[in-house]
Amino acid sequence: MLANLGAGLVSAMQPLNFLMMTLGLAIGIVAGALPGITMLNAIVLVLPFTYFMGIVPALLLMIGVYCGGVFGGSITGILFNIPGDPMNVPTTWEGYRMSRKGQTRYALGLAIMSSAVGGLASALFLAFFAPPFARFALGFSTVEFFSVVVFGLASVSVLGQSSMTSALISLFAGMFLGTIGTEAQYGVERFAFNVPFLKTGVDFVTVLIGLFAIGEVLDLIAPASPATAPAAPKGSAMPRLPLLDLWPLRWSLARGTAVGIAVGGLAGAGATVSSFVSYGLEKQTSKHPELFGTGHAGGLVASESSVNGSTGGAMIHLLTLGIPGSAATAVMMGAFLIHGIQPGPLLFTKQTAEVYTIIAGMILANIVMIALGFLAALSFATLMKVPTPILNTFIVVFCFLGAYALRNDMADVWLTMLFGILGFFMRRYDLPIPPLVMGVILGPMAEQYFLTSMVANANDLTVFVTRPVSAVILLLSVLMVLWPIVKTWRGRDKLTKDGEFA
Amino acid sequence: MMTRVGRMAAPLGGLAVALALLLATRGLDQVVPGDQLGPGFWPRLVLLGLGAVCLARLVDAARRGARAAPAGRDDASAAPPISWPKLAAAIALILLYVLATPVVGFPLTTLGFIAGFMWLCGTRSLVAITANVLLGTAGLLYLFVKAVYLPLPKGDGPFEALTLALYRALHIF
Repeated sequence: MLANLGAGLVSAMQPLNFLMMTLGLAIGIVAGALPGITMLNAIVLVLPFTYFMGIVPALLLMIGVYCGGVFGGSITGILFNIPGDPMNVPTTWEGYRMSRKGQTRYALGLAIMSSAVGGLASALFLAFFAPPFARFALGFSTVEFFSVVVFGLASVSVLGQSSMTSALISLFAGMFLGTIGTEAQYGVERFAFNVPFLKTGVDFVTVLIGLFAIGEVLDLIAPASPATAPAAPKGSAMPRLPLLDLWPLRWSLARGTAVGIAVGGLAGAGATVSSFVSYGLEKQTSKHPELFGTGHAGGLVASESSVNGSTGGAMIHLLTLGIPGSAATAVMMGAFLIHGIQPGPLLFTKQTAEVYTIIAGMILANIVMIALGFLAALSFATLMKVPTPILNTFIVVFCFLGAYALRNDMADVWLTMLFGILGFFMRRYDLPIPPLVMGVILGPMAEQYFLTSMVANANDLTVFVTRPVSAVILLLSVLMVLWPIVKTWRGRDKLTKDGEFA
Repeated sequence: MMTRVGRMAAPLGGLAVALALLLATRGLDQVVPGDQLGPGFWPRLVLLGLGAVCLARLVDAARRGARAAPAGRDDASAAPPISWPKLAAAIALILLYVLATPVVGFPLTTLGFIAGFMWLCGTRSLVAITANVLLGTAGLLYLFVKAVYLPLPKGDGPFEALTLALYRALHIF
């Protein structure tokens, strides 16, 4: 195995191959950072160019876009509160707050390093444990996927900064938004009320851009006096690489990476679910959960490492079982097939050289990403020097363009702006935004997995607790919801006892 | 600080909306054969959850005294005071931008929007506004129309002709 991996590294280090991987990384990072242009768009855009390439440079270009794309969205999330992709949302919650506290350099550096470490660890996991892990994961079905999504939704219990009911209202509202439009299984229109653009549903990118970016711009403009206005991120934004600062956060990094690999390894549950699950888990295990949402480095590290950690997990399914876990890996599977690579159980024995070149490419991509991520963050961070009025104006225009680019439809622009206004009032009246975003993203996934499980199991609800993995994940979800309540009771009990003895 | 009625209004509104939408789920399951779960099942579950949480919030608000502090900070007392005219102007400008774009076209509305929004945000330098309006709009057009081929709205009638003339002048077409 080590010999194969060594040969793969040598192949990936050839000048043309290395150049293609670096180019792919750069394209992925920039595409991931631009709202409205996702990593999937970038992979689809580079696919035709690979037709004219040899097999190895083509694969490394795609791998580069994939690894860079999952990281890129964090940069604009940290700097401007605009997550490039839904998977970057938890990073944005903490990163942007850190930025507003003047810790932009630290936040960017942490994001780069934890992405690289998470991605590297998952690539190594892919290299050494892919076949046995794939055999284990092959036993999973939509029942387990549903349980994982429920675990992500259960983390809402730790997201409400002020009250659980506010968080739940926000979550259910988001889940409802996710049901609008034409239902996939029977093609029935739900809550469209004969409004044409509602028939195609509410794209979660419009919700993301609106609530985060437009809402933030209005929040910066609205205060009566500039002195009372929330501080826009300022100061030096040049990222620094906090190699030593990462040591105290090693457990957050380890947890995030482990969650990323595990969740990424379940087909269908990709980087987005893993980032939400990892963030929720991190807050539950933290000694200072009250600091989450205010710019907590642990939350950022856990979320960011899980996003890139999921890349190796997703590739396990793709390479060993031939099952793409997401739209991005589905396009990559298409590219593999075009170049004569047949993902599946025999891949590791029949096309050993190619498969280890892919793995070596992932390892190298995550190392090179430190340098490229630094350069990209530096370039985007230059925008921080732009005066706030100009920045706010162009953020609105870019949001317009990002929303319009989704489907070339003004309806998406309307939705984005309306969600922006909603986001402003949610901020003002302390209705937490993260649960709503989580509901819009994870709600439709939960519905799809739940209904498919019910069809496959004759509407037998007990299937969720009779399958061991699903039962364990659901039990963990229940514990996650109950833990804050138990902690509150224990706190009250302690206060009462202290009062008695005082 | 909000009165008890004020605190009850929001969850009451949420409960009413949830119930109204719940009624709208009737008929969604007509296409479903046999005892299968239909497309109305999941929304009903979600709306019942929303209604239940709103009801819990309503009961909580009703039980508290008119001047008692709510469980969470559900008023804006801790937030800095808002300039409502400024906020209304910003929202109006954004909505006008979206409303006017299909009619007037993206380039021309963007010229106006950048100027108006920068002024609203506090920029008073005519040079800065002019430079950003012209360079910003031109840069966006080159990036999104010429490089990315995004078919941005050109406007109707004379505005379309004007947009096309602008594109030709900028060598975009």
